[in-house]
Amino acid sequence: MSLTSFGSVLSFAEEIEIQDSAFYSAVLNNPESAGVKSLIESFIKESKKNIVIIQRTRRENVTEMILEPIQDFSSEPFCIKEEDPENMSAEQVLEKIKSVENRSIEYYTAASKKMKSLPEVANALRLLGKKHNKRLNKVESI
Amino acid sequence: MSLPVLKNYINDEWVGSQSDTTGDVFNPATGEKIAVVPYGNREDVDKAVAAAKAAFPAWRKTPPLTRARYLFRLKDAFEENFEEIAQTLTTEQGKVIDEARGEVRRMIENVEHATGVTTLMTGYTLEDIATGIDCYGHRQPMGVFAAIVPYNFPAMVAWWFLPYAIVAGNTYVVKPSEQVPMTQTKIMEIIEEIGLPEGVVNMVHGAHDVVNGILDHPDIEGVSFVGSTPTAEYIYKRCGETGKRVQALGGAKNIIAVMPTADVDEGIPSLVSSFYGCSGQRCLAGAILAPVGDKSDEIVEKFVFSAKQIVVGDGIKQQTTMGPLGSAAQRDKVLAYIEKGIEEGATLLLDGRDCKVEGYPDGFYVGPTVFDNVTPDMTIAKEEIFGPVVSIVRCNSLDEVIELVNSRGLANAASIYTGSGNDARKFKYEVLPSMIGVNIGIAAPMSFFPFGGAGKSMFGDVKGHGQEIFQFFTDTKVVIERWF
Repeated sequence: MSLTSFGSVLSFAEEIEIQDSAFYSAVLNNPESAGVKSLIESFIKESKKNIVIIQRTRRENVTEMILEPIQDFSSEPFCIKEEDPENMSAEQVLEKIKSVENRSIEYYTAASKKMKSLPEVANALRLLGKKHNKRLNKVESI
Repeated sequence: MSLPVLKNYINDEWVGSQSDTTGDVFNPATGEKIAVVPYGNREDVDKAVAAAKAAFPAWRKTPPLTRARYLFRLKDAFEENFEEIAQTLTTEQGKVIDEARGEVRRMIENVEHATGVTTLMTGYTLEDIATGIDCYGHRQPMGVFAAIVPYNFPAMVAWWFLPYAIVAGNTYVVKPSEQVPMTQTKIMEIIEEIGLPEGVVNMVHGAHDVVNGILDHPDIEGVSFVGSTPTAEYIYKRCGETGKRVQALGGAKNIIAVMPTADVDEGIPSLVSSFYGCSGQRCLAGAILAPVGDKSDEIVEKFVFSAKQIVVGDGIKQQTTMGPLGSAAQRDKVLAYIEKGIEEGATLLLDGRDCKVEGYPDGFYVGPTVFDNVTPDMTIAKEEIFGPVVSIVRCNSLDEVIELVNSRGLANAASIYTGSGNDARKFKYEVLPSMIGVNIGIAAPMSFFPFGGAGKSMFGDVKGHGQEIFQFFTDTKVVIERWF
């Protein structure tokens, strides 16, 4: 889907966080991931907070004066294959988490660069990308 | 399935209209009827004004900071219901969801600005105007005010006035556009939740009878109006006859000059957004594109290319970048202007007449349209079209553009795209419109600056919002005091 507007960029960000949250909730049902349970729970909690940040950013930074179209940006490169993590091995779960987090980092990085006329939004997206980067670091250190 | 029948909000109660006459509310994207609105009468107005008048004595005595606290509550409630308001707005008006969100944001910004009443409403004083005599100017609320608002901004426009009026201690009656009454209805539901005292804010649905009821009512102190120029002029005269304060904002024919020194690539996105945002149905929309000098061909080519990228459709869908017109009548009016442009000899570069949106055969759509080689005397260069139709009037010099701007009669807004500070200064200094953009396509003043045009675009003295709005909603009582 083409992301041609401020709203569509933030709505897709919200979608990513919802997908992340659903994925991590499913991970909790996998006994293989017992060792990272508290980490996963913190990710779920954080994704909920991220959704609040995204919604607030959309509400507070939308002004008709600078609602300019966004060009050459679409959701396709950031769509990842949905897999059921409940039957994965511990290694597979960790690999999948890394790919989920990488997707978010890449999306937030790319999206923030598209928000030239809305620097507060670009900043919010960059910070969300940083949060996901921290998550990735935590997972990689396991 | 039966359609919801809207009610008036009077004295903190939802009440049916005294009139049996009704109208239909449509979703412009689908052409479907979505609600029934009563076309109220003078009795409805009388009830609302009586409630507002009864609420005034206690409300005016409520300390300004306490009144402001209601607005803080209201701001929170609006934030909580933000998406719902925006979606209601898009459903009945047609604009794309981001534009609806932008409108709700601007509505909230007025509430935020009005909470500054304790500094914005203060009077002034001077000691010793004569020996031993001091003078005070107190700003006092006056009573009941009313707003009559248009279909293109169903949420925001009433809020250019209402929060300032009530925080200053007045009480209020709103008449939403009968074409888009659902958004203000939703807003009144939110007002009901925050517990404002009964009668401070009231809403009456309707059309001409309600308008005339407001204009003639002896207990209304002042009227704020936004709409077309003929109606603004009518309201201004009628309020003059009935001794009311009035601020009546009318139509526009906004010109955007693009100078040879402009950074065209940087400017094109905001230019396109100016002409086609809200499907051209805003009083700040660009109407005439005036490229100047030897880069005109390049400007026109790039503009048309970008206009072709616009995705027309149902505004509720995220991928849509331009929604339908607000009504079938407005669509037909815009189509008639396009025919007129062809008839008068303009060159049609992009034709939006046959705009089809898959799955929406009955929506009120007109695609982006561009006319080149338009001359200043053509109808499409003179009259407000209020649709996605761009008239390109090529000019040879900045002086020629300024003459074009100042000869339209309507003088709401104008913009210049330029890399030259000298050109920008000359433009903003010499043009008549009073909302000016420099490398900005939509010169929309925010809540803390006044909104309104000049010439035939504005009738009255005090504009919408800004610091000056408190002058409109208060009487400065001067006390000259001496003690023996």
